[in-house]
Amino acid sequence: MTAPVSPSLMRGNAGLVEDYVNQLGKGQPGTFDALLDRQGQLRPGWQNLLGALEALGADGRFQQHEEIQRLLAENGVIFNMHDDSHGRAWRLDPLPWVIDQAQWQTLEIGITQRSRLLNALYQDIYGPRTLFDAGLLPTQAILASPHFLLPCHGSQPSDRPSISFHGVDVIQDAEGQWRVIADRLQAPSGTGFALENRILMARALPEMYRNAPLKRLAGFLDKYHRTLTALAYQHRDNPSVVLLTPGPGSPRYFEHAYLANYLNINLAEGQDMVVRDGQLWLRTLGGLQPVDVVLRHCDDAYCDPLELRGDSQLGVPGLLQAARTGGVAMSNALGVGVLELPELADYLPALCEHLLGETLLLPNANADTRPATAPVFDHQLQRLTPTPLNLRCFVSRTPASVSTPGQQLSDYHVMPGGLAWVGAPGTPSLSSPVVKDVWVTATTPQPHVSQLRQARGPVVATRDGTDLPSRVAESLFWLGRYGERLDARARLLREALMRLMEYDQDDIADQLLDELLLALEITTLESDGENAKPPLIGFAQKRTALLAQFGEQEPQALQPLFAQLLRNARSVRDHLGDDSWRVAHQLRQQMSSLSPTLAPSAARRACEGLSAQLAAFFGLCNETMPHHYGWRFMDIGRFLDRVLGLLSLLKLTLNSPHSPGLALWEVVLATTDNFTAYRRRYRSELHPEAILDLLLFDETNPRSVGYMLKRLERQMDKLPGSSSPYRNAERRLLIQANAALHLADIDRLSHLADTPGAQEALEQLLDDLIAPLSALSNAISHSHFSHVERPRQLVSMELDE
Amino acid sequence: MNYTLRHTTRYHYSAPVTLCHSEARVLPRKTLHQQCGASDLIISPMPQVQAERRDVFGNRVLYFAMEEVHQTLDVTVVTPLNTQPLGPLPATSPAWEQVAEQLRGDNRFDMQLYRLDSPFIRRNDELATFARSCFTPGRPLIESALALNQLIYSSFEYDPSFTTLATPLSDVLANRRGVCQDFAHLAIGALRSVGLAARYVSGYLETQPPPGQPRLIGADASHAWLAAWIPDWGWLALDPTNGTVPGEQHPVLAWGRDYADVAPLKGVMNGGGDHQLEVEVDVMPLNDSAA
Repeated sequence: MTAPVSPSLMRGNAGLVEDYVNQLGKGQPGTFDALLDRQGQLRPGWQNLLGALEALGADGRFQQHEEIQRLLAENGVIFNMHDDSHGRAWRLDPLPWVIDQAQWQTLEIGITQRSRLLNALYQDIYGPRTLFDAGLLPTQAILASPHFLLPCHGSQPSDRPSISFHGVDVIQDAEGQWRVIADRLQAPSGTGFALENRILMARALPEMYRNAPLKRLAGFLDKYHRTLTALAYQHRDNPSVVLLTPGPGSPRYFEHAYLANYLNINLAEGQDMVVRDGQLWLRTLGGLQPVDVVLRHCDDAYCDPLELRGDSQLGVPGLLQAARTGGVAMSNALGVGVLELPELADYLPALCEHLLGETLLLPNANADTRPATAPVFDHQLQRLTPTPLNLRCFVSRTPASVSTPGQQLSDYHVMPGGLAWVGAPGTPSLSSPVVKDVWVTATTPQPHVSQLRQARGPVVATRDGTDLPSRVAESLFWLGRYGERLDARARLLREALMRLMEYDQDDIADQLLDELLLALEITTLESDGENAKPPLIGFAQKRTALLAQFGEQEPQALQPLFAQLLRNARSVRDHLGDDSWRVAHQLRQQMSSLSPTLAPSAARRACEGLSAQLAAFFGLCNETMPHHYGWRFMDIGRFLDRVLGLLSLLKLTLNSPHSPGLALWEVVLATTDNFTAYRRRYRSELHPEAILDLLLFDETNPRSVGYMLKRLERQMDKLPGSSSPYRNAERRLLIQANAALHLADIDRLSHLADTPGAQEALEQLLDDLIAPLSALSNAISHSHFSHVERPRQLVSMELDE
Repeated sequence: MNYTLRHTTRYHYSAPVTLCHSEARVLPRKTLHQQCGASDLIISPMPQVQAERRDVFGNRVLYFAMEEVHQTLDVTVVTPLNTQPLGPLPATSPAWEQVAEQLRGDNRFDMQLYRLDSPFIRRNDELATFARSCFTPGRPLIESALALNQLIYSSFEYDPSFTTLATPLSDVLANRRGVCQDFAHLAIGALRSVGLAARYVSGYLETQPPPGQPRLIGADASHAWLAAWIPDWGWLALDPTNGTVPGEQHPVLAWGRDYADVAPLKGVMNGGGDHQLEVEVDVMPLNDSAA
């Protein structure tokens, strides 16, 4: 079985293996090592790999490593957008963990047996409970465990397996024997990471990967997808599968998004779904769509506030009842968490004899278990160091087996690979500094399955029709609104900062600046009342107040607005393109550099950069998102916020209390980026009437009210339900605004500067526009999003603590 | 005794409810001393989905879902049932410590289910100290349990204004007042804290006072008591609110580890705003000639 160490490897300049042998000699003698056998010979499968890495040299390896880390970071950006402290912060070792077929088969059979055992155990624990009274289970530990859920008693239909997907954490001990550390059943995570590691290795080291005779992963996930669809009770031809995620707040959200995308299934939060008529449904714009199968990545107790934890906001009320009566199939069944209990370990050998009539193949690790070692590169990619590794393996039921009662050895299928991470046995994977791809050797080269490439394709929504979840539509709407609000604010701040810089002293009072502070709502007109803010006196106060908008304290400051934008964007991440995410990532980096200590000039530049990047973000959205409902809601959000912003600015200009005259009109042109358009038409003379025409009535100007109303109308015409002959509330409001604009008496509006009547007429017009448009947002929510409503408990079962 | 039980639970919401999933434990279960006739169940508005099952304790659970807009919910159950008197209590019982010691190593599910902590009842030293005033060294289990029942009855005041569902047991113990549910929880907590097994029983109480005896507390409402495990005999029911051993005048509804397991009506709803709750209970004895 052992291959002789090639002389070149032993003599090589870097001497990776020689160095490794020396380190092993100094360690615990006799400890099993993944690379070298007890005679110091390379185990099968490593030679070509090490040869290739050796040939690269330390510099070459470092470059490969950098490439891998760059790809990792990019995936993090695309799929996560989390704080850096959240989620994975590891590096991927360029040397995979090679496991030869003989070792792997031992593990594979052991894991399969374990999954069969736990399936049988679930049936008894939540069924007749004979094993407790027979003394075969730690009754007290199980009853004391928060994962043992009494309501799950008898809840799993007998024609569906309780466990169709099972994660098992294992290590190799000092003798080379595989030992189990833990079982993962409630939300077995890690498949997404295993897949990611494999894809990154294939991209960074294509030669090495392509020629290696190793088992591919794609077949496993393809089969698992078919297992999921086979679990469905109804719609057998085209069942709907969703991945239930706790949402963007979960540290595993990256993986949920990645996996849902890879399996091409809907990513849904609890609030996106509802149980009606005993069936689980997804709330979509087109109404309720049935959900046949839930791939659960949410812990048992949080899945149903009716029967399980009443304080959970992550689940769906009535889910357990729906599962009980076959209204939805679960992978895995609710209540499986109890099988993760560490106290079960000592009971498994006897249980295995009792339930399966077999000897337990994989023992659990215990406090005395010493781990084996495997080679891991150091930070500089110069040396390999013997290091203990953890491995998470995955086993799933085969599609054909899930609707037949009972179980056989052949009903299970183990992923040929897994997620390996550096750390003492049992340390959590997410906090590990280094992870490894796991290569299971095959006797012959394996065909490269094209599906691995699929996940690299552009991430565009493929389900943007009426089956778009309502929550996604709502988040896209608010993404648009916050984006536009942020842009408008950045533009106003830019103007204000320019004035601040021009009149950088107290003796030249700048009334325009006061006007802008009003527009930014940093100051208020009323000096008393609920929302009144203290007046700002003097240059220093105004400067501080303006620059505070670059901090995190003020609710309307740039960073809090961006946080809202990002929150909405994250929860729809699989509906936006990769390029948009890259821009969002840049925006985020730029945002984090803002602070109230910036110099005004730097702050002004930041505002300009912000506007440009927001334009890039929405531009890319327009280019890459399918122009279906999701995109329309985002667009409606943007133009609604934009038109409201413009109208309130115009109103303020009209009422300009500090009377700067025409100067403020110039600001209006500048903040709407219409200065050039105006100058081309009217030279440098400021005519308020001409400005009004440009900003109100000129439908060719994308910044005009006329254009924006037209755009809103066009988008709203294409929303679901708009084909009805009866006009709904939001259509009526838009017609009202349109009528006000089109019926405006232009003659009365002329001579604005010197006729009080004209000012009155304009103010009336602006009010007639603002009122219906302000109501429009609520009307849209009501028509399209209103069924997203947080469920509440009839009786609270919480104790006062 | 033959009874007709009528139990109505009515909710008025200040705002419309668009969807409500509920679980009701209002259908009485059969016991060794109790037979139930078919229940008449009226739910208004009519639920779109309705299903009955047994929970892990063997109680009858009614799941129902209202999927149309409603502003009141009314669940009325009318059940004819027949109760028989308890047999005599055993003349002797083992010392309570001996039972606690046996239970400690007992692997049976039901024993541990009612011996360990539960949502509303956590074992602690305070409760154990309280129990030990009755559970003195070497005292027979039944005698000790009856003494605890009397202790709560005689030294605690029935005071519906003092506690709510959320009041912790330590407050009940410190202030020596509460309602039947608190007293049942207290007795269970005390028993479990010295290592014994006890379960919570929800049910009703016939309120017609026998001639010459005082009217019992718990009139026109659901009642709650407990049952302690007596080895080789069974579950000994204790009503610390009235200082009695419940018998045929205590029709049983359901049992569990504590109130959380047997709450008559639970639900999760969308909308609803504030709500008002009305509960009406009638325990109507039928004389033998009418039955």
